[in-house]
Amino acid sequence: MDTLLLARLQFATTTSIHFLFVAVTLGLVTLLVGMQTAWFVTGNPQWERLTRFWGQLYVINYVLGIATGIVLEFQFGLNWSGLSRYVGNVFGAPLAIETLVAFFLESTFLGMWIFGWHRLRRGVHLALLWGVALTAYASAFWIMVANAWLQHPVGYELRDGVAQLTDFGALLTNPTLGMALGHVIAASLLTGGMLMASVSAWHLLRRTTDFALHRTSLRIGLVTAALAVTMVQGFGFAQFGPVGEFQPTKFGGGPTADAAVAEWTSRFGPGDYTPPALSSVGLGFMILIGFTLGCVWLLLPLLWRDLVIRLRFPLWLTLCALPLPFVAVLLGWLAREVGRQPWAAYGLLPTDRAVSDVDPSLMLASLIGFSLLLGTLAVTNWTLLARHAARGATDPALGRPPGVQDDEPRPTPAFA
Amino acid sequence: MALVWYALLGLFVAGYLVLAGYDYGVGLLLARRGTPATRRAGLTALGPFFLGNEVWLVAAVGILFGVFPTLEGELLSGYYPAVAGALVGVILVTAGVQQRSRPTGPAARRGWDRVIVVGSALAAFGWGALLAGLLQGLPIDADGHVAGQAHLATPFVAATGLALLTLVAAHGATFLTLRLPAADLPATARLARRLLVGALAAVATAAALGLLSDRVRAATRQPLPAVLLLVALVGALVAARAALRRGRPGVALAATSAALALPVALVGAALWPAVLVSTVDPAATVGVTDAAASGPTLRLLGWLLLPLLPALLGFQAMCWWVFRGRTDGRAPVYW
Ligand code: HDD
Ligand code: HEM
Ligand code: HEM
Repeated sequence: MDTLLLARLQFATTTSIHFLFVAVTLGLVTLLVGMQTAWFVTGNPQWERLTRFWGQLYVINYVLGIATGIVLEFQFGLNWSGLSRYVGNVFGAPLAIETLVAFFLESTFLGMWIFGWHRLRRGVHLALLWGVALTAYASAFWIMVANAWLQHPVGYELRDGVAQLTDFGALLTNPTLGMALGHVIAASLLTGGMLMASVSAWHLLRRTTDFALHRTSLRIGLVTAALAVTMVQGFGFAQFGPVGEFQPTKFGGGPTADAAVAEWTSRFGPGDYTPPALSSVGLGFMILIGFTLGCVWLLLPLLWRDLVIRLRFPLWLTLCALPLPFVAVLLGWLAREVGRQPWAAYGLLPTDRAVSDVDPSLMLASLIGFSLLLGTLAVTNWTLLARHAARGATDPALGRPPGVQDDEPRPTPAFA
Repeated sequence: MALVWYALLGLFVAGYLVLAGYDYGVGLLLARRGTPATRRAGLTALGPFFLGNEVWLVAAVGILFGVFPTLEGELLSGYYPAVAGALVGVILVTAGVQQRSRPTGPAARRGWDRVIVVGSALAAFGWGALLAGLLQGLPIDADGHVAGQAHLATPFVAATGLALLTLVAAHGATFLTLRLPAADLPATARLARRLLVGALAAVATAAALGLLSDRVRAATRQPLPAVLLLVALVGALVAARAALRRGRPGVALAATSAALALPVALVGAALWPAVLVSTVDPAATVGVTDAAASGPTLRLLGWLLLPLLPALLGFQAMCWWVFRGRTDGRAPVYW
């Protein structure tokens, strides 16, 4: 096996796991901001309980977002040192901005939010959650700036074979950025909304206590999912324009693709410049999922007089649809990234020049090690999430009043 | 210009070692036998600071990538095993601390605690090994490639990894003397003093091996500052022990913090003006200025960071201020 293939596999595995978690992070934090703000404004304790319950799930989910994100960040240097050597001057800037503007503050705020219940004034505590959400969006923005640049390098000039930044504004107005960012954010909201609706549907099906609470979150989840799925479709189709124009080889051949290949052959030598066909197959399935999830609109009229709940089968449908957004986000990214092959930066830096010059056996060890580690952590994290989702909103550890410890053995909760 | 950025990079790396250092130290101390309540007390002491500590690493790597792209690639891939090992440790600690209290069963919690111990040890050892690797140089050839990873397998690297491990353990215990309820102070201080002796011994061993190694001597460009900083490091450890004996945990924590920041300064100063010293081809040695990004990128990031830095440090300081003082029955519990 060659180092390049192993490095690509490793990137694919770690990013995919990362995105499964951060999509939920981005979606849920938006809904949490809404719920905690409602609590602040109305003072209704129902909103506090909702915030604590969903906040608990959000925080558990967050763990793997961090763990996988750190691995990704290091991977650029460990496995893709050519990327920093040839395009680091341009590509590194948005990533550096992201870590400083977004992650640094996001985690600082989140730590204070988790431990700030009963300790900070309610306004400050709410402001912290707003801070977490805004920085999460900022991080999505800057990371997409970086990714869009790899899809379509702009605002640079080659000097001695190294890309130098000439126009930072061009990075921000990159045509492959806007629609993709909208699409990713909408997809995250869809994922978060579906998660909320499904967990609530499960509780309503099991007829656990807290009917009113789960009814509220079912409604929030379904309405969010419906609005988001429409945005997903809109931004999704809008992506075809720029992608077709700037990445002619992505979705199959054609005269512009042939012209691009001819040009690359003259610049970089002969080679296979078409991406694997697999990527567009995934895209087709994603679009199919997009239309399937569009049916969530049909459930909205049933919110009238709680028909969704009383008919029961809509709850089952919601529950069964939970995996769909997760599958779709992965397929979408695979299409976007594999479709960029064989380029690390489209038309500028081939992947085989971007990969680090390390021994294949070392790369293999690192691939196996990190995949096993992150895979195991992902599974345990989902198990914990499922347990806490099933336990319900009776007594989440998040926001528990001080003085209560759970180190003493306690009766096992009924639904754990 | 490049010097300012280099200093800033040093600040973030040192900040990471100081802050996450006590996380790892407290993590290592979970290996002691103790009741579930004592283990929980240590994690509660970390509590609100934990998430804000590890981001210093994320920010340091961000600066490395944005400002020193050439260095980023060659540094991380040239010391692959050390970096990957430390990274696994960081991941285990991140996941372990945040998840250990989510299951309610004591067995599951004990399992997660072991994960935290192993992770803390790996992280501390790995970063120590990386610092040592920098000091002894690496075989970069004229195209900037590093052949193999055998250059890391030296006694100096192992000793420095161990030295950092003992340093974070002592730092973690010192942190607990400042955070745990006052009733625990005498016992924790005794533990911290013992660990400080171990740290002194480990640092002395690593220093001796370094002075004996001809690779380290050849790579060092500024011997005088390096030796002075080493003396300062030893001085900080001695001062920390003295402060603990006199019942001044705050001073002691400041001293152990200095002890974790000084190795970063030492590596930076000893190699200056180089960052990566080639052991095979002097022309392949990477200097600070050649590693830096070009003018426009540096200007852009400079204008951005200038107003941002006070905000970044300000919010961190807010976190320390809000949650200052000793933990007691009313301290929020989550990890
Ligand atoms: C819940 C998830 C989800 C759903 C239901 C859809 N997508 Fe999507 N799609 C994504 C989640 C996603 C994504 C993971 O967020 C991607 C990967 C990168 C990106 O920009 O968004 C993506 C990429 C992506 C791309 C690739 C862009 C490129 O190659 O650069 C296209 C053309 C579309 N989408 C179009 C659609 C259409 C027409 C959809 C349905 C009607 C659709 N997507 C549903
Ligand atoms: C927006 C931020 C992202 C950036 C800057 C980014 C950057 C990169 C880079 C540098 C590579 C390796 C070079 C290459 O193989 O072309 C890569 C490959 C890959 N990425 Fe991304 N990525 C991002 C997000 C994602 C996400 C969220 C996913 C998945 C959910 C993803 C999926 C993949 C896959 C599957 C590959 C391997 C494709 C292949 O090389 O065969 N990426 N990406
Ligand atoms: C290859 C590209 C990527 C890299 C290198 C990367 C890096 C990171 C890192 C280092 C963290 C942890 C920060 C912390 O310590 O708190 C993180 C978290 C996060 N990432 Fe990524 N990321 C990538 C792709 C993406 C994409 C494509 C998105 C979304 C569009 C995204 C959204 C987030 C969010 C919202 C968080 C914070 C929440 C959480 O940790 O769960 N990232 N990422």
